[in-house]
Amino acid sequence: MFFLRSPETFRVQNAPLRPLLVKELREILSGRALWTMLLLICPLIGYSFFQAVSLYGEASTEGLQSPVLASSLSPLDGVLVPTFGSFYVAVTLLFPFVAIRVLGQEKESGALRLLVQLPYRSPTLITAKLAAVLAAWVLSSIPALSALVMWKMVGGHLSAPETLNLLFGHLLYGLLVGAIALFAASVSESSATAAIVTLAFTIGSWVLDFTVAGQPGLLAWIARLSLTQVLRAFEQGLFSTGLVVAIGATIFGFAALANVWLPPGVQLRDKVIRSITWVLVTALALGLTTQVKLTFDVTEDRRNSFPATDQHLLASLAQPLVVTVNLAPEDPRYADLQRSVLAKLERAMPRVSIRLASGRQSLASMAGDDRYGEVEYTYGTRSDVSRSTSPREILPMLYGLAGVSAPAPAAGRDYPGYPLVAGRQVALSWFFVGLPLCIALAWWRSRRLPQPIAARS
Amino acid sequence: MDDRFDLLWPNLPTRRNPQGQLIFLPRAMMALHQRGIAVEPSDLILTTSSASEQARDQVLLRVDSITKQYADQAVLTEVSFDIQAGEILGIIGPNGAGKTTLLEAVAGILPIDKGNVRWRGKPLPSSRRREAIFFLPDGVRPYQEQSVTRVLSFFAGVYRRSINETANAIELTGLTPVLRKRVHSLSKGYSRRLMLTLGLLTPHPLLLMDEPFDGFDLRQTREIVNLLRAEAVKGRTFVLAIHQLADAELVCDRFILLADGRVRGIGRLDDLRAQIGISDGSLEDVFLAFT
Repeated sequence: MFFLRSPETFRVQNAPLRPLLVKELREILSGRALWTMLLLICPLIGYSFFQAVSLYGEASTEGLQSPVLASSLSPLDGVLVPTFGSFYVAVTLLFPFVAIRVLGQEKESGALRLLVQLPYRSPTLITAKLAAVLAAWVLSSIPALSALVMWKMVGGHLSAPETLNLLFGHLLYGLLVGAIALFAASVSESSATAAIVTLAFTIGSWVLDFTVAGQPGLLAWIARLSLTQVLRAFEQGLFSTGLVVAIGATIFGFAALANVWLPPGVQLRDKVIRSITWVLVTALALGLTTQVKLTFDVTEDRRNSFPATDQHLLASLAQPLVVTVNLAPEDPRYADLQRSVLAKLERAMPRVSIRLASGRQSLASMAGDDRYGEVEYTYGTRSDVSRSTSPREILPMLYGLAGVSAPAPAAGRDYPGYPLVAGRQVALSWFFVGLPLCIALAWWRSRRLPQPIAARS
Repeated sequence: MDDRFDLLWPNLPTRRNPQGQLIFLPRAMMALHQRGIAVEPSDLILTTSSASEQARDQVLLRVDSITKQYADQAVLTEVSFDIQAGEILGIIGPNGAGKTTLLEAVAGILPIDKGNVRWRGKPLPSSRRREAIFFLPDGVRPYQEQSVTRVLSFFAGVYRRSINETANAIELTGLTPVLRKRVHSLSKGYSRRLMLTLGLLTPHPLLLMDEPFDGFDLRQTREIVNLLRAEAVKGRTFVLAIHQLADAELVCDRFILLADGRVRGIGRLDDLRAQIGISDGSLEDVFLAFT
């Protein structure tokens, strides 16, 4: 054996990626964090699924008697969102510990000093670690995915677009938490500190939701920074291109920051300067994503859209529509108007701008205004005022402003709803016994040692 | 001594240099190891091939005025030295002298306040040090939940080592008994051997090793010394940070005496003795005289 080679032949571009990826995957699998999380998730998701199916079944009992009631029964709202809601809690509270391990373990053992000397660029190392985080998320989602299989097995209905959209939203959320954890591990000396930093982001988002959501002014803007906003659109059955790009930009931003802080041989001043640069770049990218308006309603019942004929007609209205709302942001009527009319108009019409007449004043300060509650719609040069929050009143008014006739209702199949009274005891057995046993078995198999290396004769 | 080698191993590939000294070629060194024969350091001087002798005259790495300060405490002050190709250079100093900091600074994994490193006369920025230098830190047990085999396979895969090359490295360092053990369950000595094996699997011409003999008994230290010697004969260069002076004296060609972050003396043991005006004396005596 002759070890000496010219250093020029070992440029970083030459290193194979496979050993690095295999190493990262083995590191994830060899840690207790992932398996412990999986075992904890089983009963959590199992109980949520059990409860969701129970409540859905109770509602379905009446729905089976009445088609009108049945049409309001959607598995997305009734089963999928609650079941994946517990997965979201687990990802928020437990997944950071799994993701931090991808880098934290190497930092604590000193192996990072070996890793950074290997012939890989720093971004390659971070990308490999992010790939390991992705793999960990996929494994963590097995209990939630098994709930989908179980729902299907008991005769439940799944709409592929809305199910995949929800899964994609959770994937993005998991990657976002993972990227934050990676960044935290790269700036922290210990895994414990990294966990605190990551939980400050994830649990801090809950604090934002509970304390400042629905508040006017700056607080409302701060509330929008909450990580829980990531999932909201997906849970509503919306695929928002702008949101997806924004989450992607944020994941990239945290990964870039982790990349800045990973190499130990760089001066602190340089790291800070590069970090500020990446924060600004990410902020700019996030600003640009607000201009991406393309959104798809992937729900089977089209709850986020007007009827198809109205959608087509509204899309053809080329002049700008300005909506001036005389409501405080925290007023429930504003939320109702926003959900049932304004958000749909923004998605359907090419040029819509919405503004609050009194800026972001609070409800108390606007109470004395006679015009409070009015919403003014201006299309081109014509305008009209309404206090309604129902599209049945507002759409005809808009067509009148645009000088077009309201479209005839299209003949088509209405959303039937999917009532189901399903047996659910088997779910408890699976999530509390079967699946944990499978996970324990997989854990045991993952701990098996490989055959030693032996020279070929 | 030449006769003794000829008598014991007449079939080993050797030749004589112009001065009439017996030269063991690298292949011969491997044969010695495969026969489990420990070679005295003084004997090994004769095993240097002519190519390696020539290489030793070349400055492989030049460290110039490296300075490192933590807050208001100077850890390294204007440290400068050369590393010759194919030599084993010992950085000698007590705990806290700055040996580890110096190795990390040279390896490029610790930012420095001042100074530079040149590779064969050309500047080598810290971002490119890993192309030429590999540093084996002290006290690291990498990937503790993995088996020794998996850790070695990872490095072998990264550097595209064949199974035979990997197996040979394992045999040289005596890791075979613990291949199926997890890293966290290794003794201190086997952890060292693992790190050394990882170092051997790298292709770098210059290996920096922090306290490579810590945790070894006398016999084990002798084995590792022989191994490093054999690698040096093949042209690889070593810089070892050692606080045990007896071990350092056994293995190193030249010494850097470091105390309080400053270089107090550089040279072969004889040169250092000459500088302080003594004809004999151990490295310990020399170090005490310099510091």
